[in-house]
Amino acid sequence: MGNCLKGTSNEDISLLRGNESSSDNQHDVIQSPPYRERVPVYYPAPNDRRPANQLSEEEQIRIARRIGLMEHLPILAYDDSINKNKECVICMIEFKIGEEVRYLPCMHVYHVSCIDDWLMRSFTCPSCMEPVDAALLTSYDTN
Amino acid sequence: MSALPRRIIKETQRLMAEPVPGISAVPDESNARYFHVIVTGPEDSPFEGGLFKLELFLPEDYPMSAPKVRFITKIYHPNIDKLGRICLDILKDKWSPALQIRTVLLSIQALLSAPNPDDPLANDVAELWKINESEAIRNAKEWTRKYAMEN
Ligand SMILES: [Zn+2]
Ligand SMILES: [Zn+2]
Repeated sequence: MGNCLKGTSNEDISLLRGNESSSDNQHDVIQSPPYRERVPVYYPAPNDRRPANQLSEEEQIRIARRIGLMEHLPILAYDDSINKNKECVICMIEFKIGEEVRYLPCMHVYHVSCIDDWLMRSFTCPSCMEPVDAALLTSYDTN
Repeated sequence: MSALPRRIIKETQRLMAEPVPGISAVPDESNARYFHVIVTGPEDSPFEGGLFKLELFLPEDYPMSAPKVRFITKIYHPNIDKLGRICLDILKDKWSPALQIRTVLLSIQALLSAPNPDDPLANDVAELWKINESEAIRNAKEWTRKYAMEN
């Protein structure tokens, strides 16, 4: 209970209008990647964004393990006869036949870059909220 | 301005084409990530008859992180504090990029119909809601009349 009392910073307050540093340059036609730092940025927890050099050893190990697990998630060509989802729920762009998509153990599929971005924050399926590593481990046991 | 992600454009178009009943959400003219929201107080709730203004902002890494939402109209509710901040799990640790602006607005509407004093944000309101629900509901109606019904 009361999970809202902790972690309520005033961060939410001045957030809305006009606090985004808009680097509105004319060459910005292509969406620039959200990360501009040189040091890679990781998410030890969904809302905890930190550069690699500010992670504890334990967090580094956990993130490395997660990246290792992600490599086991199959990438296959999108096939509209198998997949009911016509679009990736993360970016809302339609899948093209033959395009590479990543399969989670629950059989939900996403664009590789879309789902990998999310899995680095939370190791769950966005659609069914099933934890990915637990499912992966059970699938290893049964195979 | 950097280009708006396709997802935000699509969500906005779908929201305009099929609005959520009882809720209006209009993007700001100068900032497509900022929405002016008006939620109608649900029937059979102490907020019935009120029109509640909110602001919703899509952060730069949306949909990887949740929209930021705040009540602008004062409201007497155990899960909404004095500053209008909302205690709703999907806006915090239960966020998923499969959720949308629409889902968030529906959840806020549902929170008005079903206040949850066991997961409070406004402590004194939640306290009263638990020990004397009828008085809390009276206060909520009073605030609705005072702050959400002007003109
Ligand atoms: Zn995608
Ligand atoms: Zn799933």
